[in-house]
Amino acid sequence: MIGALGRWALLGVRWMGAGAVLSARVIARLPQVRARELVRSSARLGADSVPLVLVAAVVSGMMMVLQTQLYVERYGARAFLGWAASFAVLWEFGPLLLGLMMAARAGAQNAAELAALSASGHLEGLEGVALDPIALLVAPRMTALLAASAALSALFFTVAIAFEIAASALALHIHPNVFLGSLRELLGPRDLLAGTIKTTAFGSAVAVISSLSGLRARGGARAVGEATARSVQGAAAAIFGLDFALTQILTPLLGSPR
Amino acid sequence: MRRVPPRLFLRELWLQLDQIAVRSAPLVISGMAFFGTVLITIANVQARKFTGNLVVLGPAYFELLLREFGPVTSALLVAARYGSSSAAEISSMSVTEQLDAIRMCAGDPASDVVAPRVLAGAIGVPALCILGTAAAGLSAVFTALLVLHVDGWAFLDPRYLDASDFLSAGAKVLLCGLYIPLVAAVHALPAQGGSAAVGRATTRAVVAACLGCLVIDVLVGLAFRVLGL
Repeated sequence: MIGALGRWALLGVRWMGAGAVLSARVIARLPQVRARELVRSSARLGADSVPLVLVAAVVSGMMMVLQTQLYVERYGARAFLGWAASFAVLWEFGPLLLGLMMAARAGAQNAAELAALSASGHLEGLEGVALDPIALLVAPRMTALLAASAALSALFFTVAIAFEIAASALALHIHPNVFLGSLRELLGPRDLLAGTIKTTAFGSAVAVISSLSGLRARGGARAVGEATARSVQGAAAAIFGLDFALTQILTPLLGSPR
Repeated sequence: MRRVPPRLFLRELWLQLDQIAVRSAPLVISGMAFFGTVLITIANVQARKFTGNLVVLGPAYFELLLREFGPVTSALLVAARYGSSSAAEISSMSVTEQLDAIRMCAGDPASDVVAPRVLAGAIGVPALCILGTAAAGLSAVFTALLVLHVDGWAFLDPRYLDASDFLSAGAKVLLCGLYIPLVAAVHALPAQGGSAAVGRATTRAVVAACLGCLVIDVLVGLAFRVLGL
């Protein structure tokens, strides 16, 4: 038991160190990134995730209203429903779900692509002709993942709150004006900022972990599958851990002033 | 479906149960413990704003945890952990023609490879959900006691719980447990053509597993609402 905990801790420290080294190398090579590869990565990792993010946003908006009807039924808090549901989406479920979706879609794809290149020796080939795989392949992908997670969070929040308004109007007969009124009164830019900080942090964790596990893949089809699986698992663990840490840091800083 | 010798089937089922329940347990338990802490912090902010006290809101949040967040978050974690590794395993078997070898020996991948996984999912995911929800509840109580300095045990008040909550949670985890290994197999079995195909199949399987768990959650929630349970 203690041995397993120690192994986990060592593994975590090793990944954090490798992630820091990789991030530093990527930042150092940002000026060499080619615009074409950046656009291509953004399209593949960001724009192609839009349908998935839309579905997740719709589902989480409906889920939040199904749940917050508890307040409406038990406390008669009709005027607060809009705030309660949107607060939960901005602070917790939006970032968490979006992070998991980024890990599942864009992160897994990034890891699979890099692992396929790495396992088949393409990366060493690039190095052999004096080209830098970090500047050529990894930096644009990580930049694209980071930018995509920030941009997709705006989309996610808008769609989720729009569906909350629609679902509460249809299922609970709460007029959209009442819903929007409670948003205007109780929700501020601080809550939006907290949600964006969380999603961006999750996006960078996904970018680092997926690139790292992709680059480390060696040895054929089995290694590619393992790297992809490891990227998703590592990113999920990192997202839950980061969520915990960020909530403890952000709540006193940005939490609603009383 | 062709009959598999029961002894082999049980052995494979045991192996898969180890994969899904034992190997996924650290991720699910630690993830859910973090989640419980976050949940109670958010609940505390909300409670201060409109009911004044966490103790009033606690029982409602406990019901939410048991009925909604426990099942769906545990299922998402299993989808990330087991869905990805199962899809990676099956698709690399398919790419390296091991499944063709099974077929050549008059075996059937559906009954030899997929069926034990689906059964293991139906047993393992509910068990993991119970563990995960317990971890989330306990970590919420201790966060309330030690960090927020309010009466944490009030959170575990079963005032609002009834049979329909347990029924709804049970239906969700059972369906997710059947769905995750099945969708992983559906995306992984046809994988052909080298390491890139393995990556593609794994990506698709994880996306489908995560999304499916969310959709199952909403559909079961809606069904219980429509049935008036």
